[in-house]
Formats: sequence, C-alpha cells, structure tokens
Amino acid sequence: MSPWKYCANASFYGLRRDRFTEYQPARSVADKIALIAATPGLSGVELKYPFDFADPALVRSLLQDHQLTLSAVNVDIKDATYFRDGALSASKVEARDKAVSLLREGMDMAAEFGIDLVSTCPLADGHDYPFQTQHQIAWEHFIESVRRAAVHRSDVRLALEFQPHEPHARIMLSNVGKVLYVCQKVGLANVGANFDVGHSFCARENPAESAALLATENRLFYVHSNDNTGEGGDWDMISGSVHFWHWIELLMTLDAVGYRGWIGGDIMPKVFGPDEAYATNHRMVEMMWTLTESFGRERLAELTGKPGAIPALFQQWTETLRAPSTSAIATS
Amino acid sequence: MHTLIEKYRNKYAVITGFYGRQGNRFMEYQPQRSIAEKLQMAARTTGCEGVELCYPDDFADPAALRSMIKDLGLGVSALNFRSRRPGQWMRGAWASESAADRQAVIDDCRRLMDIASEMGVDRVTNCPLNDGADMVFEMDYQRAYDHAAAAFEAVASHQKNVRLCIEYKPNEPRARSLFDTAGGTLAFVQMVGSANLGVTLDIGHALAAGERPAQSAALLARAGKLFYVQLNDNDGAFDWDLPPGVLRFWETIEFLHVLPRLGYVNDWCSFDIVPKEFDPVMVYSNSFTGTRKLESIASRIDDVRMAELVRARNPTETMAYLFSLL
Repeated sequence: MSPWKYCANASFYGLRRDRFTEYQPARSVADKIALIAATPGLSGVELKYPFDFADPALVRSLLQDHQLTLSAVNVDIKDATYFRDGALSASKVEARDKAVSLLREGMDMAAEFGIDLVSTCPLADGHDYPFQTQHQIAWEHFIESVRRAAVHRSDVRLALEFQPHEPHARIMLSNVGKVLYVCQKVGLANVGANFDVGHSFCARENPAESAALLATENRLFYVHSNDNTGEGGDWDMISGSVHFWHWIELLMTLDAVGYRGWIGGDIMPKVFGPDEAYATNHRMVEMMWTLTESFGRERLAELTGKPGAIPALFQQWTETLRAPSTSAIATS
Repeated sequence: MHTLIEKYRNKYAVITGFYGRQGNRFMEYQPQRSIAEKLQMAARTTGCEGVELCYPDDFADPAALRSMIKDLGLGVSALNFRSRRPGQWMRGAWASESAADRQAVIDDCRRLMDIASEMGVDRVTNCPLNDGADMVFEMDYQRAYDHAAAAFEAVASHQKNVRLCIEYKPNEPRARSLFDTAGGTLAFVQMVGSANLGVTLDIGHALAAGERPAQSAALLARAGKLFYVQLNDNDGAFDWDLPPGVLRFWETIEFLHVLPRLGYVNDWCSFDIVPKEFDPVMVYSNSFTGTRKLESIASRIDDVRMAELVRARNPTETMAYLFSLL
C-alpha cells in the first residue's frame, strides 16, 4: 500500500471541451459525486468554487452519503466575466479585488467543511503577445493579491498551481521556480503549491526534482496526477503512460520527502468514461509504487545518486520488472 | 521594378470558422454567428479578398451561400472539409477502425469535392484532427495508414480536377496526430500517388512541429505537393493561432520570401487566427496589413546579394543585411 490518499477533480466527471469538440455529458454535482464514489480507489473529491458550492448543505450531505472527503476547494479565477484581462495580476483593481475575495470565500468554505486546503490555477494571468503586459507591474500585483488572500486566515493553506501556458501562450506562474519565488516574496507559511505533474512535464521539468524543491521549502501542499508527451500539450493522460521511469522516480521522491497528502487525479476521460479513466490512473500509480517496493525502497535510495551506480540500478530494475510479485499485480 | 512578391502577389482569405464562436478547454470567445454575418464581416475586413469556407457548417443553403459570396465580391480560396464534428467519428475518420465510418467520411468528402467543382473552386483542404492517438498501443499504425491511404485515394480519384490537401499538425486534439509533419505527410501522399492529393502547409503547425517553415515549404514544393498555405504564428510550444510575425518575426519573413521562389504565386494564403476576445474584423484587418508589411520587408531582399550571402554562409553578415532592410 502506498502512503497516499487518492481523489478526483470533479470537473473531469462532467462536460469537457477542447478547441474542436466536446466529450462527456454535462453532469450535476450529485451525479459527479456518485460517479466518483463508484470509482475504485478514490476516497476524496476536489470541487470547484463557486460553481459546485451553490448549495453547500447539499454538497455536505452528498459527501456524507457517499463517504467521500472533500480534498480541496478549487477556486476558479479565470471566469471571463471578471478576469478577461487578468485576475491576481490585473491592472484593474476591481478584477484583483474580485479574485482575492473569491479566494477568501473559498478559504472560508474549506474551513466550513473542516479541511485546510484551497487550490487555484491562475490561468487568467498570462499573455499571448509581446507588449501585452507590463511585466514588472503585473508581478507586483500578483504577489500582493496572493498575500491579501493568504492573510485572510492562517488555518487554511492556499495551494498555487503552476502551468506554463493555456489558454494564453504564456501563463505568469509557469514553473516551479516562480511558485517558490511567490512563496518567498509573500512570506506566509500557508502559501504553497498544488503540484500538477503534467504541468511540470509541460514546463520541461523533471517532476521529482520540482517536488523535492517544493517539499524542502515546506511548500508541497497538494499533488495533481497525470502525464503528457512533454512537447507542450497538457494532455492529462494516465499517469506513467508516457514518462514511466520519471513517474517512478517521482513516487520514490514524494515518499522520501515525507509527502503524505492527496494524489488528485486530473485525467481527461475523452470518449471513455471518467470512472474508467480514474480507476486506471489509480491502479497505475499503485502499480508503479509497488514496483518501488519490489525493488526495495532502501536499496533504491542507496543506489540513487551514487556515482557510477546507474548500470546496476537499471539492471536491478530489469530484474524487478520480471519479478513474480509485479506480474501478479498486473493480472489481478 | 516589381519584385517577385508584388508581381505574383498571393491573395489573402479569412477562414469563416474563426469569425464565429471559438472555445478551448477553459474559455469561450465570440458569439456564434450565421454564415451571412461572417461573410459580411469578411467583406468589411481590410485587405480581405476571399474566404475559406467550412463544410458542413457553412453549407446549409449552398445556393444562398454562392449568391452572398458573389454579391459581396469575395473570392473562395478553398473549401475546408471538417472531419471533426461533435459526437461524430470520435475514434478516427480517415483511419477509423470502423469501415462504416470511413465510408461515411469518403461519401461526405466526395460530396464536397463535387460542390467545389460546381463552384469553380479547385481546392478542398482537410486537417485530419480525429486521426491520431493519445496513448501508446491505442492504434495499429500500419493499418491506420492503410485505411487512410485507401480513403484519401477514393476521394481524390472521384474528382480529379479538384485538389485534395492534407493539413498536417503535430498534435491536438490528439496527443499525437497521424499526419504530424511535412515529411511524414509528404511520404504519405507520395505513397498514395494520386496527382491531385497534396499538402496544406499551415505555418503555425510547422512551427509547432519544430520545423523551419521555409524549409518545409521547399521540401513540399520540390515534390510538387505544396498545394495550399495558411498563415499564423506561435511560440513553437503549441498552436496558438496568433497573427503572422508577432512571435516568429524572421522565420515568417524567410517563409514569405521563399514562397514565390517555390512557385507559390497568384494563389491564396488563408489566415488561421483565433481572435479571442478582440473584434475579429480588427484582428484580421491588422493581420493582413501586418503581413503585407512583412512581405514588403521580404521584397527588399536583393536576390543577387542574398545569393552571395547564402553562398558565403556567414550568418552575422546575413543578419546585418536583413536589419538594413527594416
């Protein structure tokens, strides 16, 4: 058994779009929660604020009925009505105020549900064109807005999710280094990262290294799990389906740095159902974890980073992949 | 003295789809507009000489469509066969495992080839967005190429006076497209061997595929398969559909410089730009004006001087010369 709890981002259980087509029917929050409850391996659900919390009492009873935990409140600050020209970094004070108050409301909602985690991906804060942004001013606004949200209450953590691009060609909070910069500048203990593994691949990082950096600074609050081809597109594919070895290195690292929080699936189900996608994702992560156990976690830690040990390490991986314990899992 | 670019000037067209509602994973932009509104907007766009029409969306009433285009004095650069449609052919179109789906694609695209012929438009273009895979082991690549070859051949042979163009793109909406690069797509159309089957070069797709667009254009033209050109721009990470030259300034100039030298002249370039929240008429007007400006910079390149510089292959000298033209 791995040391983590698994949850799903509920928005992926409803209607999804890309530039060209639509996938999955629109589903009510009740239907989404029921489907997540029926997905093997999941014990938590991440919901969007404000959309999913129109009736908090209903959400509370749905979670209770299905014995699911709220993993995080995901605050949406990309809504075009307010944030067409940015949210946290907007030049208009009204937009910044709106973003800050949404984050504060989300923090209050989290506390009401007895959890301490709010996540947000600041996708409205970015640009397409050169000369579209006064970067020095935008960054000052960004940091000030994060500070204003985070000081609202110290008992709820604010997890910032970086993503290199989309829907803008460049998103301000584009990589692990910028998240750490924001955390340092804001200087509050409750500001950290929602570390989306796929976004890290999109940003051309090795996620194990990024996770280690965040954890070292006590900023690794939450993990979103998925994979992509690393060329730029954030395809939200099944974890480990592309970056197999990198994913195993990440799991080893998450364990080593003491991360014991949620692993939240962020998988695009496209034409196959979300329950199937999330169940498979969970199974894949657990199988990769089991491989580290078959290898021997102490042995893996001993060989990792040891000068000249790479041949021996991959030799042992070859043997591990053929070990009976793993093939038994694959067919179970 | 006329330069090649001025003498063999290519006309500029709007792709009608971009004048209506556009969405992505996170946002929606622009209201949905009727084809009549889109055409009127195109006619109001400075520098717009024609449209690339989208099938089936624009073709609910083909007779009305033809008369509107005529009344507005617009040309038609190409008919765009959409093989991605909500709820249809989701597991592949040309390369689908379903023979019935492939036949439906063939029948529908043949219909469009006939419409093109009737309208006197000699080009049907298609970006096979549904043909590709996200995951490994999702697709039998050999069978996919076989299916696609048979399907494209069936359409191309149906109407030999209309050129059928495959628009390659490295990814999106699939993580990996079946027709992903200039070289791969060229190999495919050569393998099929139909004289009227060729390639659409979308400069943004070439950039997103990590190509040097002028080089890809030269390769396709060398094989006689550079059938159609679409213009836009991105940063190489993704297909952002920005106006030409706003990011990849020199590569766009090089591309515009080589086009007439490759024989792509007195033809059409259609523009594939997502206006996002801005007024599409303004975005396309500015893009057309801006691209003509880039062409005028390219047209200042003296062929004799550039030939010397290329032979000398001293990039610092060449860049100094290019800056002298600004």
